[in-house]
Amino acid sequence: MTNDLGKISDSLIKGNVDELKELVQQSLDADAPPADLLNKGLLPGMEAVGRKWKEGEMFMPEVLRCAKAMSGAMEILRPRLAKEDLGSAGKMVIGTVAGDLHDIGKDLAAMMFEGAGYEVINIGIDQPNESFIKAAIEHKPTLLGMSALLTTTMPRMGEVINSLKEAGIRDKMAVIIGGAPVTKEFADEIGADIYAPNAGTAVELAKEYYQSKV
Amino acid sequence: MSTRTNYTIFESPRLQILSEDQKERIFNGMMRTLQYTGAHVHHEEARKLFKDAGCRVDGIKVFFPPEVILKALSTVPPVTEIFPWDGTTEKKIVVEKNRSYFGPGPTPPNFIDPDTLERRKYLRKDATTVARVCDALPNIGFVQSLGSISDVTNGLADVYEFADMVRNTTTPVMSWSFTREGCRDIHRMAVAMAGGEEEFRQRPNYIFYGEPISPLVSDFHAIDKCMYCAEERIPQVYSPCAIGGGTVPATHAGQLVVALSESMVGVIAAQLINPGTCVIIGGVQSILDMRYSVYSYGAPELSLLSAALTEVVQYCGLPMYSQSGCTDTKKMDMQSAMEASLSINAAMMSGANFVHDNGYTESGLTGDIFQTVMDDELISMARVIERSFDVNRETLSVDVIDSVGPGGHYLYEDHTMKWFRAYWMPTLMDRNGYEGWVDEGKKTMKDRIIEKTRDLIQNHEGPRSKVPAAADSEIENILKEAEERVRKSENK
Repeated sequence: MTNDLGKISDSLIKGNVDELKELVQQSLDADAPPADLLNKGLLPGMEAVGRKWKEGEMFMPEVLRCAKAMSGAMEILRPRLAKEDLGSAGKMVIGTVAGDLHDIGKDLAAMMFEGAGYEVINIGIDQPNESFIKAAIEHKPTLLGMSALLTTTMPRMGEVINSLKEAGIRDKMAVIIGGAPVTKEFADEIGADIYAPNAGTAVELAKEYYQSKV
Repeated sequence: MSTRTNYTIFESPRLQILSEDQKERIFNGMMRTLQYTGAHVHHEEARKLFKDAGCRVDGIKVFFPPEVILKALSTVPPVTEIFPWDGTTEKKIVVEKNRSYFGPGPTPPNFIDPDTLERRKYLRKDATTVARVCDALPNIGFVQSLGSISDVTNGLADVYEFADMVRNTTTPVMSWSFTREGCRDIHRMAVAMAGGEEEFRQRPNYIFYGEPISPLVSDFHAIDKCMYCAEERIPQVYSPCAIGGGTVPATHAGQLVVALSESMVGVIAAQLINPGTCVIIGGVQSILDMRYSVYSYGAPELSLLSAALTEVVQYCGLPMYSQSGCTDTKKMDMQSAMEASLSINAAMMSGANFVHDNGYTESGLTGDIFQTVMDDELISMARVIERSFDVNRETLSVDVIDSVGPGGHYLYEDHTMKWFRAYWMPTLMDRNGYEGWVDEGKKTMKDRIIEKTRDLIQNHEGPRSKVPAAADSEIENILKEAEERVRKSENK
């Protein structure tokens, strides 16, 4: 069993998407406890990835590849996990605001959060303000992410935050924003909780934010 | 007296990255991509235009057969001229193969404040500053704003920018806009400056910049503005920011295939609407830094990719929009000078037409007019190499060498009097002796750049007072109407 968990971690670190799925499935078929696969296999693997990235041993494409592998493994694992096992990370709704067709930064962030164990609902690009509100009401996320690459579409982020207030659900979730022209000052101005200068640091910053709230 | 038979000269040195075969292969890669992969076009009217021309359309995806691409390339103009609005010719731009003009870039959100040297939001007054300084810089051939104005009505930054810039420089401006409406406002201002529509058609006085989204997406406004410019025969850029390893393949050849394909969609649209209209392609070509996920503006790959794409774009018979003089650094420092030196020299040697981003810092997120002033000096240095020198009877100087003989000197020879002024003369570089340098205050390059820039901001006369009264009031009217339009649409 311990051996299998080691294999799962290694496979994740190598970003072997298909192999990792197989390993997780095999372990489940052999009646391994799902929580162990997550907590002693996948999460230690992702932690190692995070460490290697920080130390400059791994680069963005490799980290994303690992996040993709993690996401594939979680698809298999999630239905088998008890609610309390999932509790640690959280749920995220993410999208690019109306008028903006840029999706790469947003997708990168989504993947990084998935990699960190979040359940991510990616609502896509060019999303009108109402879509964010609708998704927030429907999915009850702990984190709402918005992205914009154009200075013209940035104001939509503030509007969404106002709509969250009007809907009475602003305090139910943290709001994280990002995109090339977005700055810390802008985030403060519109009342976002977390500003992520890039997809890579978003998860870390969200973690810091939650820790500061405890 | 005799002449030399079969004598060959090089008028200028050259940088060549690709062979004819390699260029053809990249060109064919573009043809294959547009034919079999296709591109997204978020514009119904544009898709109809393509369909009627023989393209296959499936939803928002358009597939371009080779004959449509080749037909478009057969009508692009070999040469286009862009005229300063004041009727002078010194700053005229001739868009033709291997003729390079350098300029700043469009739309970063931040600007280095000329007084405090701190990074802050780009303000309306900065557009005038950039226009005035660029007006005075002899090696800046076209002007972009280095920012996106943050302190005017939301959605009108483009229009205010052009209104202020065109009146503060006679160097042709390269404008941009959010939508067709902004495009139209800007065009009306340019027409006012030209003295009428017919006058503009005869002597276009600005260039419009538009950008599809990489990979292979023409969003509604991008292609809509492209179509407008084609209708009005406004010389325009249609080029992506291709991010190596991100929006395009991590291999340079693959990057060029995708980048070329993205631009070609605009070329085809423009040529279908108005054959012979000027479209400039190319765009920002660099790599994603895989450590920081930053689109690098100082990477050596930027220079290599841009020079190679220039060759492929020339192969297509089109003018190239390239970049140089930009940096990833946050403050004026050695890195900004190092990166700018390399890219300016490479761009100069590549023969690209419009070389932008001179003055971009922080990886394209902050405009810095001090960087532009430094780049101006670097461009003039690179021109020395590009211009090369003549080898002929007079310059070979064998007779003068004979008359001075061994052990003499050339300092006061007629021949020296005639020629020494051709030497490049620095305006910023320090060649003073040590004592002289101490006497003049031990100034560093940074000190001299700041001094020169602030002097230009304060003392350059600029053409503001020469703007014809009729054009001036027309521009103010257009601004008022634009404000009115925004107010109405907000009230809706």
